[in-house]
Amino acid sequence: MIGRRGWIGLGTVAALIALWFLLTTVTGIVSGARFPSPAEFWLSLRQIWGRGYAGGQLISHALHSLKLVAMGFAVAIATGIPLGLWMGWNRKAEAAINPVFLVIRPIPPLAWIPLAILWLGLGDSAKILVIWFSAFVPSVINTFAGVRNIDRPMIEAARMLGTPRWRMVREVIAPAASPLIFTGLRLSLQASWTTLVAAELVGALVGVGFVLNMAQQDLYPGMILVGMVTVGLLGWATTVLLGMVERRALSWNMAARD
Amino acid sequence: MGSILFQNVDKVFGPASSGVKALDNINLEIAEKEFVAIVGPSGCGKTTCLRMVAGFEAPSAGLISVSGKKVTEPGPDRAVVFQQFALFPWKTVRENIELGLRNKNLPAGERNTLVESALKLMNLETHADAFPHQLSGGMQQRVAIARAYVLDPDVLLMDEPFGALDAQTRVVMQEELVRLARVNPRTVLFITHAVEEAVYLADRVAIMTRRPGRIKEILDVRSIRQAENWDRFQKIEDVMDLESFVHLRTHIWKSLREEKGSQSI
Repeated sequence: MIGRRGWIGLGTVAALIALWFLLTTVTGIVSGARFPSPAEFWLSLRQIWGRGYAGGQLISHALHSLKLVAMGFAVAIATGIPLGLWMGWNRKAEAAINPVFLVIRPIPPLAWIPLAILWLGLGDSAKILVIWFSAFVPSVINTFAGVRNIDRPMIEAARMLGTPRWRMVREVIAPAASPLIFTGLRLSLQASWTTLVAAELVGALVGVGFVLNMAQQDLYPGMILVGMVTVGLLGWATTVLLGMVERRALSWNMAARD
Repeated sequence: MGSILFQNVDKVFGPASSGVKALDNINLEIAEKEFVAIVGPSGCGKTTCLRMVAGFEAPSAGLISVSGKKVTEPGPDRAVVFQQFALFPWKTVRENIELGLRNKNLPAGERNTLVESALKLMNLETHADAFPHQLSGGMQQRVAIARAYVLDPDVLLMDEPFGALDAQTRVVMQEELVRLARVNPRTVLFITHAVEEAVYLADRVAIMTRRPGRIKEILDVRSIRQAENWDRFQKIEDVMDLESFVHLRTHIWKSLREEKGSQSI
């Protein structure tokens, strides 16, 4: 199951934990007020896992954040991929949409958070909106680039075969663009987590970002670290999941690369 | 059914006033079931001729018609075999061949029969469920030819189809194409820069000038092939040894060399 590379990775993680233990507990070079020791981390973890913290147990915070990312990400790809395909395929669509995009794109996704909260309050819909803003852009841009990079003879072959428009999109354009589409999805997923945590930090009543915010106000380094590690693990798990989907969808392409 | 006609065809790339003239007054008539090869120096516009018959590009002036109908867009009545194969890498061999039939809305049973016979025709039966990247270049081009043949097109357009293959595979494919032309004769427009290939395969060979491309000369190979009975040989090298073959080949070589010689450096 775990290959050579996996073991090396695990070794690095183990070494970092040992170093952490050394700096905080054994030598005390880093004080507990600045960075929690492994023991404090463990206590914080047990607290939020069992009794709960910031209004809920870790599981409910994590699941809530995960749910919002999944929803925002889903909306982003459901809108971003079709728009990217359309812009790549239709020069007029690109001419119409691209200028708007060029203006909106430099606005950091986080800058939408105040507006989203103003519109929709501290609830879930504001976060989904912000995730959508941030995850949408990489999906569109990479899908668009993917379509533009398709070898012309491939499209000509499909036209020569009399492929009708809808089948052309589904069976030729989309699969041909899919390696870059997946690149876009990976960037979108990353952006989804970044913006979600930021949005929860600014205004939320539940979620991992909210845990971080509360722990900061309580001057509680152990809990801050628990929140950070949770975000890291969730981000990692969703990325692995996406990678599995990608490998399955692009099996024809992966094999070609070997 | 199956004739190709070029009538006073010009092609200019870029704006009409300042563009580059690629083709100048092309006139060529290809009869039904005739195999015509166009040879010419690189950049002479021979591929553009084929692309206009395919409907990928429109002539700037003049008319191109296939089976008496003006060409306006690509379609399965004019099947193309590309130099770079242009297979769909996410589809199996069978799915690649089947796509055109699905587009014609044929029922599944009929599609299966046609795909099977195309696989058999190109000796691909054992590779039906392979993906293109699992096949050699020669095999991939067989798939592309099968994909074209299965459409039962009026005309077959081949754009340097063996240009990306190694020398041995190329010879095998040339012999295969001759075999195919006997089993299942088609109107073929064949673009190549390989003179021997053109003489070996074609009924007539059209020689083009350098840009702007014009048709300089059209050679009747068929009458010589029949008179000298080339078809008694199975192998290309035996045909290539014949005096009549060498004579034709040398003639075309000289004609092309003149074009290269007149090129300003």
